[in-house]
Amino acid sequence: MTVSEVRALDVRALTKTFAGGRALDDVDFAIAAGEIHALLGENGSGKSTLIKVVSGFHRPDPGATVLIGGQPLAFGSPLASYELGARFVHQDLGLVEASSISDNLAFGPGFPTAFGTILARRAHARAARALEQVEIDIDPDALIGSLSPAQKTGVAVARALLAKGSASVRLLVLDEPTARLPEHEVVHLLALVRSVARRGIGVLYVTHRLDEVFEIADHATTLRDGRRVASKPVPGLTRHDLLHDLFGAALEHPLRMPSAAGQSPLIDADGAAAAMSGPVLSGALLSGAVLSVALLSVDGLCSEVLREVTFAIEAGEVVGVAGITGSGRDALCATLFGAGRRDSGVVRVNGQPLRRARPAEAMAQGVAYVPAERKLQGAFMDLTARENISISNLQKLWRWPRLRRRQEGQEARRWFDRFSIRPNGAVEQLLSTFSGGNQQKVVFGKWFQRQPVLFLLDEPTQGVDVSAKAELHAALFEAARSGAGVLISSSDVEELATTCDRVLVLRSGRIVAELRGAEVSPHAMSRAALGIDHQEPILPQGTMT
Amino acid sequence: MKRFPRSLGFDRFSGAYMLGAFVIVFSIWKPSLFATTATLHSVTADKAISGILALAILVPLVCGVYDLSVGATVNFATILSVLLVKNGWSIPLAMLIAVFLGGVIGAVNGFIVVRLKVNSFITTLGMASVIAAVQVIVTHNQQPLPPNIPIWNDITQKTVLGFQVIVLYMLAIAFVVWWALAHTPVGRYLYAIGSSPEAARLSGVRVDAYSWLSLIASGTIAGIAGVLYGSLTGPSLSFGGGLLLPAFAAVFLGSTQITPGRFNVWGSVLSIYVLATGVRGLQLVTNNVQWLDGMFSGVALITAVAVAVGRQRSADERKRRSLSSTRQLSAADA
Repeated sequence: MTVSEVRALDVRALTKTFAGGRALDDVDFAIAAGEIHALLGENGSGKSTLIKVVSGFHRPDPGATVLIGGQPLAFGSPLASYELGARFVHQDLGLVEASSISDNLAFGPGFPTAFGTILARRAHARAARALEQVEIDIDPDALIGSLSPAQKTGVAVARALLAKGSASVRLLVLDEPTARLPEHEVVHLLALVRSVARRGIGVLYVTHRLDEVFEIADHATTLRDGRRVASKPVPGLTRHDLLHDLFGAALEHPLRMPSAAGQSPLIDADGAAAAMSGPVLSGALLSGAVLSVALLSVDGLCSEVLREVTFAIEAGEVVGVAGITGSGRDALCATLFGAGRRDSGVVRVNGQPLRRARPAEAMAQGVAYVPAERKLQGAFMDLTARENISISNLQKLWRWPRLRRRQEGQEARRWFDRFSIRPNGAVEQLLSTFSGGNQQKVVFGKWFQRQPVLFLLDEPTQGVDVSAKAELHAALFEAARSGAGVLISSSDVEELATTCDRVLVLRSGRIVAELRGAEVSPHAMSRAALGIDHQEPILPQGTMT
Repeated sequence: MKRFPRSLGFDRFSGAYMLGAFVIVFSIWKPSLFATTATLHSVTADKAISGILALAILVPLVCGVYDLSVGATVNFATILSVLLVKNGWSIPLAMLIAVFLGGVIGAVNGFIVVRLKVNSFITTLGMASVIAAVQVIVTHNQQPLPPNIPIWNDITQKTVLGFQVIVLYMLAIAFVVWWALAHTPVGRYLYAIGSSPEAARLSGVRVDAYSWLSLIASGTIAGIAGVLYGSLTGPSLSFGGGLLLPAFAAVFLGSTQITPGRFNVWGSVLSIYVLATGVRGLQLVTNNVQWLDGMFSGVALITAVAVAVGRQRSADERKRRSLSSTRQLSAADA
């Protein structure tokens, strides 16, 4: 391409300050037309803020310029961003599963009609052309629900690229398009991205997976703590360079990997099957373990995949589960509790096997489960706080012929005091009137009341303010001190690093690393979650033993 | 918005105030016809069956399940019990069989809803049609005559303190349903399922079992209502369908009363009589026009749901405002 060609995106001196601090600090970078440009960075490094500025959602601090296709972007206007030719495909694709591809492509720009009747043939042809442009060969009449994940992403891309009016597309932003894709589908998606770039559209490709950067990107920009650390052409770049950019000089020594004897239930990414022999199993079935899980597998039709997950939790231990989206992290706690089906494997609580996947059975063994989606799964928004707390304990309050309402109220108030839930003592208010942090405390109260021996928690402090977060953690520590086992699954690696004695890292449904004691750090978790193992030395080659 | 003092309870007892207003207005308007104990006695007795039917609808509705088949069930139970009695079966046995059959209908509904995962609205709508068809098969579409046995009529028509005893039955059933919904774990589980089935499941509630149970309860209560109707008014081939909508209206209107935002027993019973009093008064004023009942019930059903939805939305809005104001406050502190 020539220098005279207009750049797809040009970002200069971009700074964005929120009330909490600086999300982006003087960021510069540019994407040429037809270039695939990878954007890398850990959670919280400023990637999403950057995208939201380009899409016209956030208004940056004064002094910044953003050019899309050579034209300056009027900040804070999604329409302006659209008209300059910027298109976005988010992780949530926003497709209607029950409708056909051609319908999905028409929902935005409208159907071709005559006298209010849809011209099916023309809609079909238009959809076929849109699919052709992204080099997907599927019948436009196929339902979205019948497509593979990569094909769905392709349809979302085709929809984003649809011409509307005179605006031509200059820039396509893909936000972690492969996060939810199975490994074998990634290659299809990458081919599609290349075909988009060949049309002269600049592609901003946000990803966590380093392999993809080398496979597809022409250029890579790395953000760390809101600053642009590097922006380099990919040819000539090494994995080590990228890691260095991502994590800075504070790189730690490589992960401890399991010995062949397997003294702990720690499994190598590639040698999972080999490491799965006897010693690992016996390690997982320790008699003192509150929870022991052996070869737990879920096929992933209804949830994420889990493959032969094996580990144990001792009494008093706080164990974390880390992993990127799609790694199986979201499915683990729910599956252990019996909220979802499991295909094989043995789960024991205090030595007692949980035979059926049924929440009531797990609860009878003393298991508590706090789901990630509080509003849908964790609590009853239109019942009172008192009813939310007592729902799992009603048998204790029942004395013929009625529930002991006063005792129930006292019990609820006790948990309000214990977790300092605000408004103070408002146990008769509907749960929907409480703030997120206080709602979560009510959910905790419900489970603490049962004095569980094992806590399973999915994103326990999501949407919770800082002080409530500390109180919830303190409560878990106290439960652990009195002998309960705690398993925390979280996308927030900082949270895991500050709370857990030990962290299991999942990737593609397998436990790929186990970090203990001093090894538990956000960087170590991120590295393991991204698949940087001992074969990818982080220190310069010479210093490896 | 202007706030009424809470002690007057306009919020929770608007129905009771409306009932009072109806009584006063119509007593002044038609003193000789409306303001009589005879009117009181007849309204209470006439609407007792509707009240029981409302209770039948209420139980599954608490856990988010619609039972539209209760109208057909009540009708079928009436016909069946009358036919059995006329064929020489003993009255208690005939009644028991009819009530039991109501329960069986509920169990079948439950099987379809819980096991086959068919939407309850569709299931019970279809079931209503099937029951009506079975009724035609059994009766050859000929309305049986009421059994000429005095005891049969006495079961519901005997008067206690001027009221027909059916009113007491209705209150007794209301009491039992109230106890079950408000004072037992089962009731709590039903409300929890109605609030969020998934959260209930993850709290260890056996969602399927209780949903099924609620439909068995509604079928059984509808069976009782049918048997009592047979005794009170005599068999009819088609009265049941006409009772369905007023009963639904009462249950939804009731959810804005006593404990607003929640389907509840006394709100439903109150609403039945608010509607009945309004209709009776207007009938007296307008010389018995036929369309009043249907018009009144339909308008009441839609209004009740609109009020409930509006209340929810304004509550959300209030919360949003209070949260954003506290956020501003804490930001100002920092």
